[in-house]
Amino acid sequence: MSKRDRETIRRIDEHENRLVSLYEEYYDKLVRYVYVHIGNREEAEDIAGEVFLKALKALRSGQEQGMPTQWWLFRIAHNLIVDYIRKTSKHGPIPSDSVVLLAEDDPADTAEKKIGVEGVIEAMKQLTAEQRQVVSLRFFWGLTSKEVAGVLGKSDGAVREMQRAALEKLRGIMGCLE
Amino acid sequence: MSEDFDLILDECVDRISRGDSLADCLSDYPAYSERLKPLLRSMDDVQKVYSSAPSADARRANRQKLYAALSERRQMTPVLSFLRTVSRPAMLAIVAVAILAIVGTLVVRLGLNQPTLLPSPNGNFVFLISDKPGDINDFENFDITITQVRLQPAGSKEWLTLTPETQTVDLTQVQGEQFQEMWRGHVPAGQYSRLRVYVSESKGNLKSTGETIDVRMPGNVAYLPVPFEVANNRVTIYTFDITVVGVGDDGTYVLKLQVGDSGGY
Repeated sequence: MSKRDRETIRRIDEHENRLVSLYEEYYDKLVRYVYVHIGNREEAEDIAGEVFLKALKALRSGQEQGMPTQWWLFRIAHNLIVDYIRKTSKHGPIPSDSVVLLAEDDPADTAEKKIGVEGVIEAMKQLTAEQRQVVSLRFFWGLTSKEVAGVLGKSDGAVREMQRAALEKLRGIMGCLE
Repeated sequence: MSEDFDLILDECVDRISRGDSLADCLSDYPAYSERLKPLLRSMDDVQKVYSSAPSADARRANRQKLYAALSERRQMTPVLSFLRTVSRPAMLAIVAVAILAIVGTLVVRLGLNQPTLLPSPNGNFVFLISDKPGDINDFENFDITITQVRLQPAGSKEWLTLTPETQTVDLTQVQGEQFQEMWRGHVPAGQYSRLRVYVSESKGNLKSTGETIDVRMPGNVAYLPVPFEVANNRVTIYTFDITVVGVGDDGTYVLKLQVGDSGGY
């Protein structure tokens, strides 16, 4: 084995070890990010797992080179979401058991909140794809507007405008459902 | 005006994400509070719905899939890189041989089953190296390279293998109470009967002459027949204690394993 091969393998091993750490750091974020886009938590969990298997393949082919880690994972997730939406083409009804209420919720008003949960998911489906991107990256991935602008190739101002428009639309739809 | 509002809304989104209260944000912008309030509440509604933790079972199952894929790839790496160095005419023959070798390896693995343990920052097992002061002070530096550590579960013929993340350590820097973490990760809980440490290289520069000398360990393997326990709810720290000792008058040194000071706790 040549020196160059050994160096390549050493680099891949380092990246693979890092991928195990990234799993612990980003798995939950990825599930939420995918969930926002497809509205089905179990499918979102499957896709989040698939992101890391794709990432492992990408390490071998060097596709990740020069790309910051979270963008790279985000990009893989984004492509898988696009594939998923293309395959399903039309979102079917969201099973109500795919929505889990927060642990601190009072069981007494579970029924009332369940309507609220379904209302939120329904409202999210009414957003444009770009507005959903902004909401998921800002609220769940924890990016600043400037970072989101970098990901989407927009100006900071355009992202802030989309954020406001998304929140106004959500308010309007959820207000009607209440 | 609209741009100002977008900026203020953006700042409030950031502040609430960092833990500020809605009331604090609204009180800082009284002129906009009526418009801000419903939008920030929408944000709160959305976060509540989508912030529930993913299922622990799914997380565990996906982690296992990743680990399995990693192990499979690591077994294949040497074969793939060797094939890259070979000329095209010889490729077909080598591929055929490689396929036979892989099939053979898989068959053997079914019998021997030596799973590779993967590192993780939140693991329940830490492998450290330390150096009991002996004649290490004769050296300016002394590098030891550990390529593999194997653990044997009690009552089993199988060995679990881990590859240190830090493989080369300067023993002059880990004397006495000093140590160097070499690997941290998840190890299946249970009793372990012994451990083997595979040393590929150990050499140091003598202070007296500046000469670099190799100090080999017999068989390049250290056997540690010291039982230890690994649990899921605490971290087991295993210290591999080794020292360099001068023997005779001819400037010969040997690596001496400190079995009494090694072990997992």
